Amino acid sequence: MSRSPSPTDAPAPKSDPDLFFPASDSEDEDYVPGQDGEADSPFKPTPRARKGASSSGATVRMRSSPSADVKPTVSRDTRAVSTDSDIVPFSPVKRPAASSSSSSTGGSSRKRPSPRRSPSHAIPASFTGGYLGEFVCEGWSLSKGKGYCTPGSKISFERPKPKPVNSVEAESKFADRAKEKVGPARLVNGKMVHAKVGAVKAKQATLGSMMAKKAAPAPGKKGGDKKAPVDQIIRFRNDRGFEVGRLSVGEAGFLVHLLDTGIISLAGHVIDCPPVLSTGATILLSVRVYLTREAFVQVEKHDRANDGSFWQEQGETVEEEGMRFRKDALGSLFSRIGVKPIRSNALLLAQKKNGKAEINEKSLQHFSDKPKLASRGSSPSKKSDSSGSKEKDKKSAKNSDGEEEDEGEGSGDEAEKLDEGQMNEIDSIYRKAQQGDNLLEETTPPSTFLYTLRPYQKQALTWMNARETGDSSSVRESSLHPLWEEYAFKKEQKPGEPIEIDSDNEDVDPSRKFYWNPYSGEMSLTFPTSNTKARGGILADAMGMGKTCMMSSLIHLNRTGDVSDESLPLPETDEPPSKRTKFLQVTLSNQWRAVPTAPKPAAAVARATLVVCPVSLASQWHEELGKMSEKGSVNSLMWHGNDRVDVGRLLAQEGNKRVDVLITSYGTLASEFQKWRRNKDKANYEGGSIYDHEFLRIVLDEAHNIKNRTAMVSKACYELKGQRRWALSGTPIVNRLDDLYSLLHFLRLEPWGHYSFFRSFVTIPFLAQDPKALNVVQYILESCLLRREKTMRDRDGKLIVDLPPKTVELQVLPFSRPERLIYKHLEDRAKRRFIQMDAEGRAMSNYTSILAMLMKLRQCVDHPLLVLSKTTEEDGAEDKLLDADTGESTVSLRDMIAKYAGAKDDPDSTDGEVDSAYAKKVLQEIEESGTSECMLCTSEIFDEVLLPCYHRGCQDCIVNWIGSCEDQDKPAMCPMCQKGPIAMSDLRSVQRQRKRINPITGRSTRAAVTNGNGKEEGEGKDEAVTIGKVDLVSSTKLRALVRRLEVLRVEDPEMKALVFSQFTSFLDLIETTLDKAGIRYLRFDGSMSQSQRATTVEQFGKPSKEPVILLISLKAGGVGLNLTMANYVFMMDTWWNEAIEQQAIDRVHRLGQNKPVYVTRYVIRGTVEKRVMAVSARKTALINASLGGGAQKDKGASLADMRKIFGLDEDDEEEEEM
Amino acid sequence: MSALPKRILKETERLMSDSPPGISAAPKDDNLRHFDVSVSGPGQSPYEGGIFKLELFLPEEYPMNPPKVRFLTKIYHPNIDKLGRICLDILKDKWSPALQIRTVLLSIQALLGAPNPDDPLANDVAQHWKENEKAAIEQAREWTRMYAQ
Repeated sequence: MSRSPSPTDAPAPKSDPDLFFPASDSEDEDYVPGQDGEADSPFKPTPRARKGASSSGATVRMRSSPSADVKPTVSRDTRAVSTDSDIVPFSPVKRPAASSSSSSTGGSSRKRPSPRRSPSHAIPASFTGGYLGEFVCEGWSLSKGKGYCTPGSKISFERPKPKPVNSVEAESKFADRAKEKVGPARLVNGKMVHAKVGAVKAKQATLGSMMAKKAAPAPGKKGGDKKAPVDQIIRFRNDRGFEVGRLSVGEAGFLVHLLDTGIISLAGHVIDCPPVLSTGATILLSVRVYLTREAFVQVEKHDRANDGSFWQEQGETVEEEGMRFRKDALGSLFSRIGVKPIRSNALLLAQKKNGKAEINEKSLQHFSDKPKLASRGSSPSKKSDSSGSKEKDKKSAKNSDGEEEDEGEGSGDEAEKLDEGQMNEIDSIYRKAQQGDNLLEETTPPSTFLYTLRPYQKQALTWMNARETGDSSSVRESSLHPLWEEYAFKKEQKPGEPIEIDSDNEDVDPSRKFYWNPYSGEMSLTFPTSNTKARGGILADAMGMGKTCMMSSLIHLNRTGDVSDESLPLPETDEPPSKRTKFLQVTLSNQWRAVPTAPKPAAAVARATLVVCPVSLASQWHEELGKMSEKGSVNSLMWHGNDRVDVGRLLAQEGNKRVDVLITSYGTLASEFQKWRRNKDKANYEGGSIYDHEFLRIVLDEAHNIKNRTAMVSKACYELKGQRRWALSGTPIVNRLDDLYSLLHFLRLEPWGHYSFFRSFVTIPFLAQDPKALNVVQYILESCLLRREKTMRDRDGKLIVDLPPKTVELQVLPFSRPERLIYKHLEDRAKRRFIQMDAEGRAMSNYTSILAMLMKLRQCVDHPLLVLSKTTEEDGAEDKLLDADTGESTVSLRDMIAKYAGAKDDPDSTDGEVDSAYAKKVLQEIEESGTSECMLCTSEIFDEVLLPCYHRGCQDCIVNWIGSCEDQDKPAMCPMCQKGPIAMSDLRSVQRQRKRINPITGRSTRAAVTNGNGKEEGEGKDEAVTIGKVDLVSSTKLRALVRRLEVLRVEDPEMKALVFSQFTSFLDLIETTLDKAGIRYLRFDGSMSQSQRATTVEQFGKPSKEPVILLISLKAGGVGLNLTMANYVFMMDTWWNEAIEQQAIDRVHRLGQNKPVYVTRYVIRGTVEKRVMAVSARKTALINASLGGGAQKDKGASLADMRKIFGLDEDDEEEEEM
Repeated sequence: MSALPKRILKETERLMSDSPPGISAAPKDDNLRHFDVSVSGPGQSPYEGGIFKLELFLPEEYPMNPPKVRFLTKIYHPNIDKLGRICLDILKDKWSPALQIRTVLLSIQALLGAPNPDDPLANDVAQHWKENEKAAIEQAREWTRMYAQ
């Protein structure tokens, strides 16, 4: 880092070089170009370090030693230059010389958590720096005359003085804490540091600094091009201290940042120059580059645990940007010098070949054009001390904001979603990552765990235990960290010596090796392994394999955390959480009672496990844990609802009331999180939130709930404090790779848990179809994910899970005629509207209304009445308007549906009365003939209807026949006797009563509940047949379902079945129909309380002598529930995402199921459903966010999907075949 | 391809196991709605002794719509044209879903025994039939010998 006081003030204060040049350095005296006596020569850390130690702790000393010693310099420097503040525009980012200021902020920056140093990053005390290599470049003379330099003369380099800049990027957090004027901020090795701006006396107006204003922005800076012009000047002096010239802009570009941050130092000599210099003359230079000790100081990852604030919004942007500059600059430097890695990941090499720069570029783009968040950039914190150019302020604010981790829009990128092929690739990655998993040892859980684990579950226990305790022996071998490259320092050749060919072979002295991460810009002297500090992982076994069970066994196995090694007490938590929270209800006595009573060492051990799961699963967790645990061994408690007890007190309880497992829901957590965020910084905040407690283990069940990293619930999970983190999910990647990121972030698996990192290394290459990206994913998964599937086999080739077969039947049903008419009407209308909007380009802005239209269509497919219930007056009006507009049929939907439902409440239906003589005759005839084949479908008659000519058939068949005739404009005759014509209203339903006892009401129900004006024959006389008016108010799907259930009832009298629909209103209708049919049912939906749900599931599980149907709303009960008592599943409608349906089916097809499972999916031919299925099969999972309840809308490219769904895509013109 | 309605399966089964005399029908392997049919000419008719090949196709709407049937074997008949198309009311407006493949084929067989030149499809044949029934029948017999044996 070269810096000099202004030449005017103190012209060339060339000090004795011996003072600065490290003794350990090579013979080359020119090495350190710094002239300022206080320049933080990295080569002399030891004496300074002692000095630094006094102000910072011992832990910090090593790390900050190069900078801790320069306090006087910095304050002087900044003082010296800050007078320029008014005249020199200066980019906040490019502030030079800040590297030395890390400790100058004194107390304020001390609050910044010191990074946890991983041992792998330790820098040997003896290490001072290393010679990287040299390159030749061009400089321009700034001086005139003779004698400044000659070929061969040594030169030193310097950066112009720092201009005082109001650090727009300095965060108020720091500024506020410091309560003092804070100088320019800049990133030093990932830390924000500020130079103190003291009283400014010294003046400085060098030529250089004047020129600096005019200097063009560096062309080489990719990230910088959106910034204000950046000072790109590197000047050089001769050995007498006279300024000779500056490096050409192109050359200097990448060096500037590196010099400014002090991670390199330069030396050099003149190769060639004109004998007499003139301004602008070209001087050929040889520049030697040294990496300083500073370069290897571990870059601080933001330490979320330590930093209680909401880290995503603060403290991230500048760091990230700095790292990016550093990364890019080092990259350029390396390629300029021609340094090649001795060892590099094959992946990296491959990427280099096809353009690493491209990837960088892309990731940069991603970083910089998210203007949407710009508004946040003007948050007051950022402006606290800004008095500089506002424009610049804005720019940088915008820019830095773009770098924040959460780009709301980013995840809406349709292109990121995985298509089917890509999902297949993911599958194969899972598979590869699974290799060797079945070689894991088996661990038997402690005896307090009452269940017997299957072998594969025991293997999982081994794996999980190893992940938790850090016992790496049984963990799959951790390979070379794929992101790092190995380099070696060159041997510096002495001047005049023959050039030594440095053969880049393996036998490089290990002490000369160093490692560089071209993705993060980090450097290290020690071999970087992939070893992570994260404890925990992703247990991604396929659904129904007993993840809950495995996790429970782990809870039994590892009961307590280890204090020593995990270094629990976080810098910010001055007191153990439990100590503080214990007394929180007695605030007044806090002060004096806390100390004597708190059992300090014991309390410090985090012991409890926090389980976060969907609310529907909470009680299941509770029950299962109870069942699996020996009494008193593991106590669990559900923590949700409004009457939540204080967590701190809860967990501090001992003895019988001790709580080992706390179970909460995502929703509860999110609201707790918001509460905590609101309150935590208030003066009178008392703690006691779940966030104030550190858990031994955090388990996210159905962890894909946090796949959206910007969602509140995800943030709530990230912020939890826990030593060990587990994510359980059968679908860790739902439909885009970024889903995985969120889990990794929760696990704090470094470095993958950094969004920019993950994105530039995984997502973007993957989208660019770079197959190598999958290697990375595989690598990540290998280290932290365990996944087994039901079809996998163990060592002996046996299936690890022996589940009964599952049969999925897709039933494509045709609409009945009235249904079809209504549906067509709706669909045409929706199509018209969509086309109109699309043409006007308003389709995306009217997204919601399009969704609503689609929703209606899908409801209509289930049952036309569902649409009626939603049809409001407005709709009707609009309907007519539309119809009038187009001049098409003036029949409104309302009328149509009214007609449909008309059979029920037609007022003039007196002629529908069945006269008793007729009825008697018919009854007699029917009695005699008994049930028979339907003349149309040749099966047993279902929903028998009677024609005027006494011929009978299934309602469906007859109605279809009449409809078909109407379609062809011909009279509908009786198919048998050709009498007719017959109309719908001529039909009479025949109900053959089967006696059954309804166990719910306990009384005998009559199946023949006929509607309103139907006539019940001989009530009380127990006659078996009733004739009534035909109830047409049903739907195709509904009838198909009941029909099937009727058959099943005969085949399997104790059958239990699940019926899924996403519309609870449809479930209502199903209820009515089941009532009529006398089939017993239970209901499970989102409107039920937790206890109601639990009761329902329990009821359903009870053995029963008759069939029981459980009607489940797909959203409420689609996940997690264990319903293995049923073996029939009916999916009444299609969901946007196949995975969700799969989940639903797996409620039944899972461990514990011992009967074959039959799944029936109902789809109506030629409707939106089929197209939805096609879309969902492509995994594009349209609108999952908006339909899934998320706030975010995936508007992106789903327009195309919309077109498809509306059938406007020529490709899939109504092909009827399935 | 949607699942075959139960009715079609049932009909097919019955046709195969218990076919009416002089009639055989079997679905093709690649399309179960497409049948190869052969009908023997009824006794006492000019078609006696001939085996006539037909094809039968059940449309998606079957049984709400009638099956499509066509003669493959050349036949001299006033209600059957040279493309093999058949003029039969139950295959058109008199179709009833209560009818089945079996009944349709029986009707066609009956049509061979009772040509109706008053409702012709092949006009020249019908003309011939009306003008000189004997010669026409002889011609039909001749064709049966030529094409259907």
